[in-house]
Amino acid sequence: MGLIRNSISRLRKDDPRLLRIPPYLSALCILGGIVWILLLPLNEYSRQTYISENALLPGQVHTYFGGSEQNVFRAYRQELATVLGPASTSSGNVTISKKEERDWENKRSVKIQELFRNAGLKTASQHYSYTSSGETYEGVNVYAVLHAPRGDGTEAIVLLAPLKNIDNDLNTNGVPLLISLARYFKRWSLWSKDIIFLVTPDSFAGPQAWIDAYHSTHDPRTVEDLSLKSGALQAAVCIDYPFEHRFETLHIAYDGINGALPNLDLFNTAVTIASGQMGIGTSIQFQHTYTDRDSQSSYPSRLQTLVRGMASQALGQATGPHSSFMTYHIDAITLTAIGQGWQDEMAFGRTIESICRSLNNLLEKLHQSFFFYLLMQSNRFVSIGTYLPSAMVIAAAYTIMAIYLWVLSGYRVKEKPIVAVKGKAEQSGREKEGDADEQTRPAFEYSPKVEFSPLDRRLVLPITLLAAIHLASLIPLYLLTSLTLKAIPSTFFLLASFTVVLPIILASALPEMPNNTTLPAVAAPTNEQYVLIKSLSLLLLGLFLTVLATLNFSLSMFLGIVCIPLAFVDRNPGGGRASILQYLLLLIFSPTGLAAGLAAYGFFSIGRNDVLVDWLQKLAFGWDVWWSWGVPVGVLCIWLPAWIVGATLVATSWFTVGSTQENPRAVKKLSTSRVR
Amino acid sequence: MAISLDRKTAAIYAGAALLRLLVLVAFPDLSDFLGEQVEISTPISSFKRLQEGLFLYQHGLSPYDGGVYHQAPLLLVIFEILPSALVFVALDLSNAASLHMIAEGLHLPTPRFRKLDGSIIAAAYLFNPFTILSCLGKSTSIFTNTAIIQAVLNAQSGNAFRAMFSLAIGTYLSMYPGLLLPPTLLMILKNKSQSTAGPILIMSYLGALAALLSATLVLTDGFWDFISSCYGAQLTVTDLTPNVGLWWYFFIEIFDSFRDFFIGVFWLHLAGYVGGLTLRLQDQPLFVITSLLGLFAIFKPYPSIADVSLYLGFLPMYSHILPLTRYTFIAASVLLYSTLLGPAFYHLWIYAGSGNANFFYAITLVWSLGLTILVGDTLFAVLRDEWEIERPEMRGKSVRQI
Repeated sequence: MGLIRNSISRLRKDDPRLLRIPPYLSALCILGGIVWILLLPLNEYSRQTYISENALLPGQVHTYFGGSEQNVFRAYRQELATVLGPASTSSGNVTISKKEERDWENKRSVKIQELFRNAGLKTASQHYSYTSSGETYEGVNVYAVLHAPRGDGTEAIVLLAPLKNIDNDLNTNGVPLLISLARYFKRWSLWSKDIIFLVTPDSFAGPQAWIDAYHSTHDPRTVEDLSLKSGALQAAVCIDYPFEHRFETLHIAYDGINGALPNLDLFNTAVTIASGQMGIGTSIQFQHTYTDRDSQSSYPSRLQTLVRGMASQALGQATGPHSSFMTYHIDAITLTAIGQGWQDEMAFGRTIESICRSLNNLLEKLHQSFFFYLLMQSNRFVSIGTYLPSAMVIAAAYTIMAIYLWVLSGYRVKEKPIVAVKGKAEQSGREKEGDADEQTRPAFEYSPKVEFSPLDRRLVLPITLLAAIHLASLIPLYLLTSLTLKAIPSTFFLLASFTVVLPIILASALPEMPNNTTLPAVAAPTNEQYVLIKSLSLLLLGLFLTVLATLNFSLSMFLGIVCIPLAFVDRNPGGGRASILQYLLLLIFSPTGLAAGLAAYGFFSIGRNDVLVDWLQKLAFGWDVWWSWGVPVGVLCIWLPAWIVGATLVATSWFTVGSTQENPRAVKKLSTSRVR
Repeated sequence: MAISLDRKTAAIYAGAALLRLLVLVAFPDLSDFLGEQVEISTPISSFKRLQEGLFLYQHGLSPYDGGVYHQAPLLLVIFEILPSALVFVALDLSNAASLHMIAEGLHLPTPRFRKLDGSIIAAAYLFNPFTILSCLGKSTSIFTNTAIIQAVLNAQSGNAFRAMFSLAIGTYLSMYPGLLLPPTLLMILKNKSQSTAGPILIMSYLGALAALLSATLVLTDGFWDFISSCYGAQLTVTDLTPNVGLWWYFFIEIFDSFRDFFIGVFWLHLAGYVGGLTLRLQDQPLFVITSLLGLFAIFKPYPSIADVSLYLGFLPMYSHILPLTRYTFIAASVLLYSTLLGPAFYHLWIYAGSGNANFFYAITLVWSLGLTILVGDTLFAVLRDEWEIERPEMRGKSVRQI
């Protein structure tokens, strides 16, 4: 033990070889994190899903929705068709006035309320109007409450059908199905939880307005209070059946705002009931659009599903009307009918019936199963314990680099006065002989040639600079969320061009800082301070990524990957081709580069030139209505500041005529030559 | 001793005041939001609870009815008269000014020590994010902090009785400053211009405390209510609302039959450092106080970041020992990580529902670990500094504990 400690302390003292390890270790961490993710789809690392909560008993009951209910359903569809008005032409080329639209809106809500009332339920409606990017989103939510014959009204389940689904298609069959289910459920006496039937005009603003008002966290100036409420919401199931013909499979959407996920038990229940009891196939993450549809269990399609799931989680936008519920810790999923098959609307209704019966059994809120998981097939998942290390390892890579640079910044390397001239001659002779000799040389013969003289770290300038850059990153965030749609394109074009040149401006300004006497701390930075700036910036990046990984794993993972170049680019005093290459690399892996890539993709592959504006608008809407902060904060407040610092450091290569001898990077060179 | 008002000093103070007032005016909701964060306001320092007490008090009821208010009644009188925002900003500024004066008057018997620039110390206190957050979150710990800083300032400048009175106010407000009596006395007695004897000082401290307590009789008729809900709550830790400390989780989990015993153990642990540190570091009473403040921020029943901000307010006066410390980077990173992970895990536990109490408790452990490293490391550095004065030939050589 003592021997080991001695050898370690001898190593620690002044062996420059130790200082060469961290960059490789950091690269290894990043590589390890990526490989880890790629391994997940294998059978050895993922698990079969299972039901944890025994009370659910999925598929254990007979379902009776069918028979004459089908006629009722058709009648409702006919009745609703009379009030859909211009909304039925989803193409949107019929321009109608605001007033006319409002008339139709009112007619629809009156009609739906009437249908609910005829089924014997209490109903109410709620007006809302949101403003984001200068656009107004308004409508009327209609809902009905079925009071549980066997309950005390303290718990409730929500069934939701939007008039238009997330793709803005008209939910032709879904809404009549919801109303016929309401009429059908009313006749049963076995409900022990209230059931709320909710019809929202759209899939993004309406559910949010309703759920906010249900929990009284809404802004009463824009969103109306709910006049009718029930108990604590246990779960929500959304029905989306946007055509009139029969369907083939059910697509289950489960991701919520900010990457929150419903309890895996709810998802499992839906899958078990649909495929086990009803014989309807299920898919997730648009698996039906894959080229190779039949082999969902093959590695490539599992990986594709995994990555799509992660991308959707990272974006943190709504993927269906269920997404808004997740903010309030209410487990929710959307079932969408897809494809052309032989399943009719009654089969869909029976699936919903069976899910409601299962949820009706619950004795407590769903809590048994996982809240953090990645699905790669509708019956295979990986849990947080298996996948979290990958994001953490990537975040750790930045921290390792930060510690390494911190150590470098604290010492200045000096050449030791050469004691043994003979040793040096021998060494230069060896260098020619090649590597074979290196192995045979005993390690402890080594006596350090370089000397470290400790330096006082001057932290004021690096900390001030970083704080200023991070605070400045709030400006684009503010602009994104408050500008109107007209102003967004030009402003963000200007901002994007500005961020490309900002590092160069900063880099040229830093060495020019006056050596004034009032603030001696803020003088032109020394080489060590440049290293410190990078160290602290990477430390912050690693810190933010770690925190983000606990809140939204996927976002942290993606940000960690796009930031990789930042950890490895460095100043190359004297300029030269290397720094130009590094700057170009950084430009590609930058928020601006991402935006440009997105715009180019939209232009060349979809043929639209407003893809970027669309996305900005979506992000702004997410921020204003859903409070979806992930991507705006992640990109503008974590990635952008770190990128500007990294790019500035690269750009300083062109503006300083630094003496390499004083640069801590010289350690590398010296130690390399020493070991050889 | 007055602060020389040059442009830099004026800029620092004006900037800090402007920053606080601007945020308070521009984002009125932010103050309420911060005031609800468990890291900032604890049961004994929450402004929201104070408002509840104030409401009862103004309506002629005992402020301790309802068991929400655990603070001293003197605070009620202050907030009855003065607007809260101004009080908090003014106290922050006066604390900074006091630290400024302490730093200007500080002289330490070590060759490493260089004369401190008080305005830098004040800036370090005023622009410390923890100070800003606890000021905006209106944590009433700041009154105790002011009392402690005043005690130290007066002890240093030789106003023995004022120091004792300040310490008595601190003790009256939240009890634990009473533990600072030995180092403060030491500080006063070491002052050469001082001639008052120790026992008289102790008597004056006790007298001041008694006077403050009896003043309570005038303010509120339920004296025993006050004693039990102000001091009893701290002694027996009745309110187990989560905070950054180590007590709440432990006393949630513990079986009731062991509760009294472990409360004794925890308090003994908190008090145990006073004697040892005061004896060992006799020559540097200010450092004893600084270290004790760090330890209180870790081990007291209801710690918050306001306590840490006080510790970090004193610590920069010992910047000369920075070259001797070994783990500052680790301590700083650990504190940074836990500062951000703490609210994230609390959110996962309380709001998202996907985490549980262990998440947050684990982070409070890490936070305490970070502070412990900091306290331990600075203690090491000061001892090493003393040792190097004794044995100048060992300067710069590495030592190993055997």
